[in-house]
Amino acid sequence: MPEGTLCNKQPVTTQEQLDALLKDKGGELYYKEMESLDVDTEKLWASIQKTCKSRTKTWLDICAHCGLCADSCFLYDVNDKDPKQVPAYKIQSTLGEIVKRKGKVDNEFMRMCMETAWSKCTCCNRCAMYCPYGIDMGVMFGYLRGLLYSQGFVPWELKIGSGMHRLYRAQMDVTSEDFVDTCEWMAEEAEEEWPGLTIPVDKENADIIYCINAREAKHYPEDISEAATLFHIAGENWTVPSNGWEMTSLSMFAGDWEACRMQVEEVYAAMDRLKPKRMVATECGHAFRATVTEGPYWAGLESGKPPVESIHYVEWVAEALRTGKLKIDPAKKIKEPVTYQDSCNYIRNAGLRDCAREILSYIAEDFREMAPNGDHNYCCGGGGGFNGIGRYRKQRNKALEKKRDQILATGCKLVIAPCHNCWDAIRDLEEEFDVGIRWTFLKPLLLDMVIVPEHLKPEE
Amino acid sequence: MFTKVLFATSASPCCDAAARVAFDMAERYSAELVTFHVLGVPSRGYSQTVTDVRTGDQVEADEDYNQWVMEELKITYEKQLADCPECELATGTGVPYREVLRKAREIDADLIVMGASTTACEIPESHRRGVAGSTLQAVAKSSRCPVLVVNRPSASYWGGFSNVVFATDFSKASDSAFQFALKTAKEMGCTLNLFHAVDITGVHAGKSPDQDAIEDQVMAARKKIREKYVWQMDGFKEYDIDVWEGIPYVEIVKFAREKQADLIIMAHHTHEIDAEKAAFGSTLEQVLLRATCPVASVNRPDKI
Repeated sequence: MPEGTLCNKQPVTTQEQLDALLKDKGGELYYKEMESLDVDTEKLWASIQKTCKSRTKTWLDICAHCGLCADSCFLYDVNDKDPKQVPAYKIQSTLGEIVKRKGKVDNEFMRMCMETAWSKCTCCNRCAMYCPYGIDMGVMFGYLRGLLYSQGFVPWELKIGSGMHRLYRAQMDVTSEDFVDTCEWMAEEAEEEWPGLTIPVDKENADIIYCINAREAKHYPEDISEAATLFHIAGENWTVPSNGWEMTSLSMFAGDWEACRMQVEEVYAAMDRLKPKRMVATECGHAFRATVTEGPYWAGLESGKPPVESIHYVEWVAEALRTGKLKIDPAKKIKEPVTYQDSCNYIRNAGLRDCAREILSYIAEDFREMAPNGDHNYCCGGGGGFNGIGRYRKQRNKALEKKRDQILATGCKLVIAPCHNCWDAIRDLEEEFDVGIRWTFLKPLLLDMVIVPEHLKPEE
Repeated sequence: MFTKVLFATSASPCCDAAARVAFDMAERYSAELVTFHVLGVPSRGYSQTVTDVRTGDQVEADEDYNQWVMEELKITYEKQLADCPECELATGTGVPYREVLRKAREIDADLIVMGASTTACEIPESHRRGVAGSTLQAVAKSSRCPVLVVNRPSASYWGGFSNVVFATDFSKASDSAFQFALKTAKEMGCTLNLFHAVDITGVHAGKSPDQDAIEDQVMAARKKIREKYVWQMDGFKEYDIDVWEGIPYVEIVKFAREKQADLIIMAHHTHEIDAEKAAFGSTLEQVLLRATCPVASVNRPDKI
């Protein structure tokens, strides 16, 4: 069978296609169809010739197979140092082979590549820091994912996820109306406790445009409410856009570059339309990578930057605490030992290590670093899409062991994880290993300890 | 008195007492009743997989699964549905308290009926922590309409009313609870017992207030009830005022028992919804776990 009804080379462009995929429990038929999906080797080779640029070619060529990347990879480590988990091997045996064979690979090979690209690499980019040449296997796996996606070899959940972005401009089925209604709802809920609090939608020339992760609107709207409350306390002039509020990108995890561009352009259009001074991104790692770090290139922006200055939530919090916009009640600082999960996507890959430490210096009395930490921290175990893929759940659970051991070694029972993916992974590791830890975003913590100015308190 | 009732259920036996009241009320007031069950909580990151709240299994929350759960709901409430054919059944996926609040807002409910805690009722007695469920805590905190909690089977009778107990701590939220209590007493034609418990739990911390001080506080509270509430009753004469001293939740439960109350109405205004921290904090939560009648939690004036 050249193309399946569900598993094929076509992106999801209609609601019917999306519904059909969703109806296929666990992707049973989807993966069955994948077993006989033809590889369009000519198209694959043409695509490589067009998109495989000198950097990737050089990286593939100059790798000396020295193996120094091996110990940098947490998946290599948790899987008993299996040689097949050495980053260099993983990329050479997949992308390297495809290039070497000029795209002439078969179905079985592509399925092996899929498994490697989505269950043996979370694109955390840690290996690049340890390679003497600076070869970044994570970046190359991102590229490989794009090739695999274009041939239809992508995990079921990510085909759905990128389809959601194409249809809804959000990773979940949340429309612009749903989002605006959710903002109204959260403002209603908060009005009694916070007189005067509003969630301004589409306000022009605000100081801040705030963008989120669709899961917040869909399942955890109190996150929006908490953000609104903190902006309110800090006295910020802010807004959310009715369109372009979603900054995550499951299409990035999927390797669906066209959907990546479509999604990020929606956010940039909101910036152009509302002309805010800057954008604040919610507590999400990959959303920051998608919209701030990589997005400008997908959208072809020559500056390599989003249309307005864009900062991560930790940058806003650090600034608000530094300048006194938010003040912490010293009596309410976190007394117990607490540790911090460095999200690869905005710590290692966007340099915000010190920002996070600055926040902790204001809010925690006994902050304990994981080892290693900061730029050298390990992935939570669920990055790059790993968390959501049922087919690789077993491998993902194994991957959590590294983070579990790192957290346990700190002696802390509380983990601050300002990233949706990390938050999920840490929740899952508690579910899986029952080690007795708690995990949290920054917003609820801050709300517990911030000093509320008298004029913002409700009259009793 | 009620036109749209949302019965939020975990569809477990823990909600049977609440079910009885919900269906009873719908019939009595010819109210529209929506029986709502959140079937799964999001798990596995961004995927569509949810953890079924009843079985604990990870499932794809698609249309088929939804249909299956709907059938289960129909079987669970078969008897009640036979008497209440217009009752709508609905399911949702998400974090339960959030989805209950979403549904209440969507249908513009004027009352939410719930059990106290499914987790607490399904773990062995010896291991119970005596805390209200996290879903209830969070719903009661944010709901715009009164939340009627029916925990013990003995509380599941919503019939001829003779006594309503309004327990106040004089807070702003208690003002809303009072309005609801007054309205209920008037419409049901029953006695409204205005009650306050002077908190002397400081005794356990080694502080031993002298009896004169306690009695002064009791007197002051009686005066406060008169000043704060009685003038608002617009000629309604069927009321009593009582102030007792002790541990507030114990006194409220004792008082309700003595009065053979059919309903306790209180405010739930704790801002803490973290189950760990609020476990022993809220008087309301202790009352509704112990009371032999339904307890209505009222926070806001909107839907009264």
